[in-house]
Amino acid sequence: MAQVLDAYVNKSVNVVTADGRIIIGTLRGFDQAINIILDDSHERVFSSTDGVEQVLLGLYIIRGDNVALIGEIDEELDKTIDFSRIRADPLPVAKT
Amino acid sequence: MLPLTLLRTAVYHPMLVELKNGETYNGHLISCDNFMNIHLRDVICTSRDGDRFWKIPECYIRGNTIKYLRLPEDVLGLVKEDTNEKPTRSGPPTRRPFRGRGDGGRGGHGGRSAGSGGDHRKGGGGGGRGGHQGSRGGGRGGQQGGQLRQGR
Repeated sequence: MAQVLDAYVNKSVNVVTADGRIIIGTLRGFDQAINIILDDSHERVFSSTDGVEQVLLGLYIIRGDNVALIGEIDEELDKTIDFSRIRADPLPVAKT
Repeated sequence: MLPLTLLRTAVYHPMLVELKNGETYNGHLISCDNFMNIHLRDVICTSRDGDRFWKIPECYIRGNTIKYLRLPEDVLGLVKEDTNEKPTRSGPPTRRPFRGRGDGGRGGHGGRSAGSGGDHRKGGGGGGRGGHQGSRGGGRGGQQGGQLRQGR
């Protein structure tokens, strides 16, 4: 199962947390509990009225309990997105 | 790289810990364990809404209450140095256990030679110095030695 995440190591990933945050960063490592290391990470704060705000976070260890989703980011495609023009509601808290 | 390895290298560094209840704890990491239980010193606790603060000289946080940890960027570089050093360190110790077993073998030989000398108890005692394995080897060695002598 965890071999799947091996393919994402040192790549840019999108992490959705159980509390509804969206964190983008470079995956540097993970373990059995899906605790993950994110390097150069930033949060994308979505808003239905303003554009997407990017908040710099830096080096993070996210505990596995709090990870809902990990996805690889196509950096070429990601660069073409104009986040200042995107309007979207923030995610609600994931139900446990 | 494992998250807990990174956390271990971050000992004595400042860090921010957010708990599942939304409280954050800023402090210097004193120690941590494999459950991610964390011992912090010189802590500033911030309430969930961020409008109340408490200064705490030290605190111990149970690992499973943590949501995430924010570490200084330079800690990542320190881990890489550690992992580079490890292979050279772990090289010799992997050979040493074999040498240790070799000594145990010698204990066995000692048992044999003593056995051929005629005293089985002394042979067992000689093997005993080499540890449990050595003493077993010594015992067998002594008996075999005796059988061989009979054979001759």
